[in-house]
Amino acid sequence: MEYLDHFFVGLQSRILLSLVLLSAAFTAGAADIEVTVLDREGQPVPNVAVYVQSANGGSLPAPTTNAVMDQIDTRFVPHLLVVQSGTNVDFSNSDIIAHHVYSFSKPNNFMLPLYKGDLQPQVAFRHEGVVTLGCNIHDHMLAYILVVDSQAYGKTSFDGKINLTTDNPNGLTVSIWSPRFKHGRENLTQTINAGKSAAVTFALTEKLRPPHSTDSDALTWNEY
Amino acid sequence: MERVLVFLAVCGLLQTHSAAAQSESQDRHAIETSIELSYIDVSGYPSWTEGSVGKLRYDNQNDGLVMSRAFIDYQALVTDTLDAHVSLELYDDDLGAVADFTEAYLEWRPVPRSANRYRVKLGAFYPRISLENTGPGWGSPYSLSSSTINTWVAEELRTFGAELSITRRPQMLGGAHQFGVQAAVFYANDPAGSLLAWKGWSAHDRQTRFGDKLPLPPLPQIQPGMMFAAQDPFVAPFREIDNRAGYYVNGEWRLGNRVMVRAMHYDNRADPTILEDGQYAWTTKFDHFGAQLSLPADFGLIAQWMVGSTVMGPVINGARAVDVEYESKYLLLTKSLDKHRLSLRYDNFDVTQNDEIPEDSNPENGHVWTVAYMFDHSKYVSFAAEWLSIKTHHCGWEYYGLDPTNTETQLQLSVRLKFSH
Repeated sequence: MEYLDHFFVGLQSRILLSLVLLSAAFTAGAADIEVTVLDREGQPVPNVAVYVQSANGGSLPAPTTNAVMDQIDTRFVPHLLVVQSGTNVDFSNSDIIAHHVYSFSKPNNFMLPLYKGDLQPQVAFRHEGVVTLGCNIHDHMLAYILVVDSQAYGKTSFDGKINLTTDNPNGLTVSIWSPRFKHGRENLTQTINAGKSAAVTFALTEKLRPPHSTDSDALTWNEY
Repeated sequence: MERVLVFLAVCGLLQTHSAAAQSESQDRHAIETSIELSYIDVSGYPSWTEGSVGKLRYDNQNDGLVMSRAFIDYQALVTDTLDAHVSLELYDDDLGAVADFTEAYLEWRPVPRSANRYRVKLGAFYPRISLENTGPGWGSPYSLSSSTINTWVAEELRTFGAELSITRRPQMLGGAHQFGVQAAVFYANDPAGSLLAWKGWSAHDRQTRFGDKLPLPPLPQIQPGMMFAAQDPFVAPFREIDNRAGYYVNGEWRLGNRVMVRAMHYDNRADPTILEDGQYAWTTKFDHFGAQLSLPADFGLIAQWMVGSTVMGPVINGARAVDVEYESKYLLLTKSLDKHRLSLRYDNFDVTQNDEIPEDSNPENGHVWTVAYMFDHSKYVSFAAEWLSIKTHHCGWEYYGLDPTNTETQLQLSVRLKFSH
């Protein structure tokens, strides 16, 4: 039934999922999953968040390392950060000017007082979901933190691919998310059967938003 | 030269002060100062800044080296969400003090709790019109002289009041389009429109400071014994004359850094029958449309269009004593390449007249071509070269024995020194 549910979710999202199981051995242990994300023209899509979850995973060990969201040339770097829920994120500021970082994304909403220099305020993100970041001084600054209940996560590289390994290969779901997806808050998920290794391809059918880029500097733009 | 020394002294003083202030309170103060020296070569009528009819800020008496501008932009964070902005502009001319303010306001930017961004400005600031003047000190990254529209904005318009801005940024929720509305209520801009009716459109880089007095041409109707003899030979645009508030409402749509479109209605709601201290109140209204578009290969396109009217005086034969309509539009194409930028702008402007008062002939039409090259050499120095040609037909110029059709040209080569903390 669970498989069917996910199947219909996939249909609703109008996403064609093609799944190729290279091996389906029923052995316990780690599973290697290769995930590929293609746009509707079949071209690879980089910088898409991908994470793998196990149906019977139980509670995950707490994350032990911090992640970093930096601010360089009045931009957040990276534009999309994926972390396990419970992770402390260090908000570095490599600019010489001060920033005033906030998010209104409940329940992970927060606000850091204006700061600069070597201060590296930390925020712990305890709840799953998308956290949209802004700077109250520089309205053009925009970034996302995707908080996931998973230890197997990452972002696709330039070839639209990522390899993830999980220690609990039973009842796995693979999910992808990007601010470029039109329904930006929907996760796109596919369930796969247990296996030592699997290759999953998400072939998107919706047109993507243009990538968040360092736009041409031909024009200057007023604040919002 | 004396004034030049005063510039340098004031700038030096502020730099020192700002450095001291900074060390005391970290990043609560930001200051940008700049001095621009230019070589000018002009051909045209004597300048309007000398009380004549020339469309440019300079005339051939200024040919050679001039101190074209200096400014000090100061910003202080009163709290994390409340800024104070002050802009001080320094000029080497006789239209006001050496140094005076062009803007002074508080801005409150509460931290957004949703995709709606709210901002409130309180004080004296430019209305949200120019798409060119986005830099410190209301400077333009595209050219030295402003388009005719923004030249007039700098000459006669300032919002002494409050502006509320609400921007819906679905971008923060994953969307791409943004919508904004700005509404302002203001006082102390009743004489605005005088210069546009009596002098016409211009193209230059001078911004009127709060206390400046801008000379009018020697109009027959403001001479002793004539209908507007009570008018001073100058306009002081930032006066409250009738104690009635004006307003503007602006709407914007924006798609990232690719497209932006805005539209405004502006009305100073001045009572056109009131005169005070040598300044008339003019009812000045206009609609403004602006758009900018990023093109491939670091090209960009900007367009603005303004159309409106200004009236003053009693009703005579069905129209106010002075009743003119005006329109101006321009298209600017710019290309940036690393630290270099080349821009080409074409302006087209006119003023038409509905009244029939003798010896007050204000109609004009004309166009401007501007080519500008800007080179942002370093954090401290930038260079610019600009050539501008303005061709005008102005009916009233015949009163002064001048050819009513004239082309004025200006070459300006400038070096700008910049300091920031």
